[in-house]
Amino acid sequence: MQNLELKPAVDKYQPLVLTPLEDIRGFLFHHLGRFLLFLITFSSVLLMLLIFFFVIREAIPFLMKFNLTEFLTTKSWYPEASTPKFGALSLIVGSLYVTIAALVFAVPTGILAAIFLSDIVSLKIGDFIKPVIEILAAIPSVAYGFFAVLVLAPWMQNKLGFTTGTNALNASIILSIMALPTIISVAEDSISTIGRELREASYALGATRFETIFKVVIPAAHSGIIAAIVLGMMRAIGETMVVWMASGNANQIPSPWWDLSQSVRTMTATIAGDMGETPKDSLHYGALFAIGVVLLVMTFLLNIISEYFLASAKRKSGKS
Amino acid sequence: MQKGNDNMLIPSLETDTQEIESVVSLSQKNNVATKKKAPNCECAIVKSENFSFYYGSKAGVKDISMEIYPCSVTAIIGPSGCGKSTFLRSINRINDLIPHTHIDGKLFVNGHNVYDKNTNLVNLRQQVGMVFQKPNPFPKNIFDNVAYGPRLQGVKNRSSLQQVVESSLKAAALWDEVKDDLKKSALALSGGQQQRLCIARALATRPNIILMDEPCSALDPIATGKIEDLIDKLQNDYTIVIVTHNMQQAARVSKRTAFFCLGELIEYDSTVKIFRNPGKKQTEDYVTGRFG
Amino acid sequence: MRHIIRRITDKAFTILTGTSVVLLTSVLLIILGPMVWRGAKAVIFKDTIEFRKMQLDLYNRGNSEALKIETSETESFRRTVYKIVDDFKHGIDTEELIDKSKQIYRQFGKELRYRGITGKQYQKIRSLARDLRGRLQAAFESNDKKIIKENIDYVLQYRKNKYFVDTTAAEFFTLAEDFYKTIENIDLNKRQEYTASLQQIEEVIFQLLGPRPDEPLPALTMERYGATRWDLAQKLLDNLLWSQQWIQQEAGQPLTKIRVSRAEQFAGTKLEPLFGYVENNLAKMLKPEYTFYWQYFIDDSTPGHYFGGVGPEILGTLLLTLLAMLFVFPLGVISAAYLVECASDNIAVRIIRMCINTLAGVPSIVFGLFGLAFFVLFFIPLFGGPSKPCILAASMTLAVLTLPVMIRASEEAIRSVPQTYKEASLGLGASRFRTFVKVTLPAALPGILTGVILSISRVAGETAPILFTGAVALGPLPKSLFDPTRTLSYGSYDIAVGDRLAMMVPHNQYGMVVTLVLLILSLNAIAIVLRARVFRRLRGE
Repeated sequence: MQNLELKPAVDKYQPLVLTPLEDIRGFLFHHLGRFLLFLITFSSVLLMLLIFFFVIREAIPFLMKFNLTEFLTTKSWYPEASTPKFGALSLIVGSLYVTIAALVFAVPTGILAAIFLSDIVSLKIGDFIKPVIEILAAIPSVAYGFFAVLVLAPWMQNKLGFTTGTNALNASIILSIMALPTIISVAEDSISTIGRELREASYALGATRFETIFKVVIPAAHSGIIAAIVLGMMRAIGETMVVWMASGNANQIPSPWWDLSQSVRTMTATIAGDMGETPKDSLHYGALFAIGVVLLVMTFLLNIISEYFLASAKRKSGKS
Repeated sequence: MQKGNDNMLIPSLETDTQEIESVVSLSQKNNVATKKKAPNCECAIVKSENFSFYYGSKAGVKDISMEIYPCSVTAIIGPSGCGKSTFLRSINRINDLIPHTHIDGKLFVNGHNVYDKNTNLVNLRQQVGMVFQKPNPFPKNIFDNVAYGPRLQGVKNRSSLQQVVESSLKAAALWDEVKDDLKKSALALSGGQQQRLCIARALATRPNIILMDEPCSALDPIATGKIEDLIDKLQNDYTIVIVTHNMQQAARVSKRTAFFCLGELIEYDSTVKIFRNPGKKQTEDYVTGRFG
Repeated sequence: MRHIIRRITDKAFTILTGTSVVLLTSVLLIILGPMVWRGAKAVIFKDTIEFRKMQLDLYNRGNSEALKIETSETESFRRTVYKIVDDFKHGIDTEELIDKSKQIYRQFGKELRYRGITGKQYQKIRSLARDLRGRLQAAFESNDKKIIKENIDYVLQYRKNKYFVDTTAAEFFTLAEDFYKTIENIDLNKRQEYTASLQQIEEVIFQLLGPRPDEPLPALTMERYGATRWDLAQKLLDNLLWSQQWIQQEAGQPLTKIRVSRAEQFAGTKLEPLFGYVENNLAKMLKPEYTFYWQYFIDDSTPGHYFGGVGPEILGTLLLTLLAMLFVFPLGVISAAYLVECASDNIAVRIIRMCINTLAGVPSIVFGLFGLAFFVLFFIPLFGGPSKPCILAASMTLAVLTLPVMIRASEEAIRSVPQTYKEASLGLGASRFRTFVKVTLPAALPGILTGVILSISRVAGETAPILFTGAVALGPLPKSLFDPTRTLSYGSYDIAVGDRLAMMVPHNQYGMVVTLVLLILSLNAIAIVLRARVFRRLRGE
């Protein structure tokens, strides 16, 4: 109790110079540790490479035997026939078809909602709406599929008089709901990073809110909005459960092209549906992996596009 | 408009200067009183030779040569952005955290150039404690905050930890306020208490130099007063380097004062001289409030 | 003018944006509202005595004594129902009557052989009995009252015959007399129609009340019990009271469905009182009670998803998610730590970041393919494991899927720890490693936890990656990590499209998917609250 006064421990100080042992240990610890951490972090890259490698590896036997152009450009997909045919065109078209239809619903709604959140209402009201979007994003895809099959499909069949309730329209409506949260949040981010100055300048010149948003804000935020659309597209094209459950899985290209009430079949649904009954190392098995490669390449390209636009949006907001 | 403003400013500046002078004479008396007690060795404990610090290609401080003497308070003053914090933070190499920086020249602590490759940073920082501008206790309880340093040094014994915590808190004049709830979160303390806790935390490693980076800038006047009293008490045992933008504070607590401007050391002398009779025009302009 | 147009466009635009948000909210309500409402019925509903019997038999729950008393209370009402049906059936079901007469004849023949009479007598009596049987059969099969009367009268004249008195053959006459009485008040021409309808009615009563006490227990569990739920009983009652018929109302038009009252259909017959009786006494036969069936979340389901709950599915989902977290948590946090604390902006780091982004964009089904090709067929066999879909493979696949989410969330959490904490720790002489472990990581932990919860909610809902790597729709509980498992997500898919049995029990269908949705939404809610608290703490200090 008496000797509690605190003094500098001058006599006990360790030297400021590292001993050689400490020096080596520190060097090893620092560099080895760093290298180890780097290796662990590098596992993401490794996994990415492994995904490409293994999916392509399983597809190679098929691609060796089967003509790639025929695979991509013919429409007949009869994998289990005596002379099997693997024309994936209608599957690719089916995927793009429901995706684009979904975007037709989702993009206007999403951008309008983003504008509503960033420009029309106060932050307080926005705090009430954001949970809605977060919940929409959190609902698992299988629950959306469940809704599509058990609620939307019977409704379409009974009330709209469609021949089948599971069709392109059903799938694309649900896909658009699923893509909306992505589109809204990315678009809202990019719209609200366009500063107040720009808006005030426009208002000061006597523009209405509509004119300000359409002539000033949206042109300024266009890279972010494009990125939002691309990300929404990625979400829709890669979705499996909803299209498997709701699209009807009929291997056809809708004709006339605008008739959404027809059933279609997508790449993801084909993989999900066929893989269960396909023996390993059969041609069919390889063909499904080849579809996987097509999907992988498509999303990879879309990813690069979205990265480009996101980066350019970031650059712009950094400048202003 | 412009002129009117100038006219308004001048009288207030004059009263400011007078106030500073009165404060200086007062602190001078204190210093005289404490001088006899303080161990007075005149060899520098921190010494910089043509020291420069660069952020990328921009110099934070350039060409600083100064000596800091032990068991006294040295204040560094100057307008904001003048590099006073940069210099302070170079002394214990906490600036290393900032990427893309490099240095030039030499900076000695206890006769060792800390920017040598073979510097033991852990030992350096143990000997050179630091108190930051904003109170930054860890989100832990009070006890763990103070015991953090001793624990790093390998003290595991509960009773000796308790002893160190108690003496550090007493030295930081915080013991009486917190002794009953050492398990309380440090973030629940008031700003002034948090800053004294940070001082206690720095003291617990038993350094001999304490760097203070505007320790009172985030505090109210009463808390500031308590910290200043504490600094006054601590200078008997510790070498304290304090960066402040508050000239009254520098005048009140320090024995020597350095004036930095635009990354350069303009003048370094005893506090009395700097405030009463500055050698350079720039210093005079600053201490009388013509710019800053 | 132009000014007005501009103002109107502006207003219209504002309203349009508002509409989009209203649309969004209503979509959410339309999807979630009915789903949750119907799903809740799997847990909170009015059960019947049949449900309590089932619970006692299958899970040994409830009080068997009390149930016995309750059963005996319902017995008398049920017996009345059976009696009405049996009485009516007597005259209607010709097949059954013919069968019965044949049976009597056979039995009588056997008896005759042991009577100790001469061969000649035997032949005579035997042929007489065959004659009686033939007459009865003719009577049963005929639609003409006159012919029936003739035949029956012919049979009945042997009533006092000494060969038949006090033998099995006497039953011929009771049969004949009963039938005589029955045909008095039924329209014979409608017999065909009655038979078909009666079959439906018996089927409904079977579904409603379960097998009769004297019947042998059916092999299928689902057939052993009547209506276990009051809402199901109501639906069956409706089926009992009304028959659905497809009728062509106008020539050339498609058939339309109409409801016909069975009471009217059977007006004037012995069956008529049945409908009123069942309608009035259904509650007494089934004894409905409100119940909170919380065991839904732990019970296994028998057969398919007809009875029981989603216990194994919840268990499987938790197992997969926790295992996936075990793999992804260290990987994610270490990667994030490296990216924040050590990495400078060099080419390697840029490649790593690009790969993380690409990984986040890979479709989930491709993860499924990868999981099959890598974990199932290559990686696990490499270490001597079995090359088949299993929990281990599925959870590893899910871990890869959620790695980007984990890294991003942890990175954000570690980045949001104030620099001053690090400076303070370093200033006290801690090494960078110690600073990270002792100060940065604890401060970032709540944020990292948020990331973990979000990853869990992502993983728990994913279906496509586990389709080929470890999920099954039906099957036993997994015994080791090398067995496949049922999960909520795959179960929801299967119960929605694959399982015919489940279509009959919509409450279980919806119950499964609502369990999944609520699990995920509550995880998200926890994450949101946690994140808000962390931000407040880091900001408010």
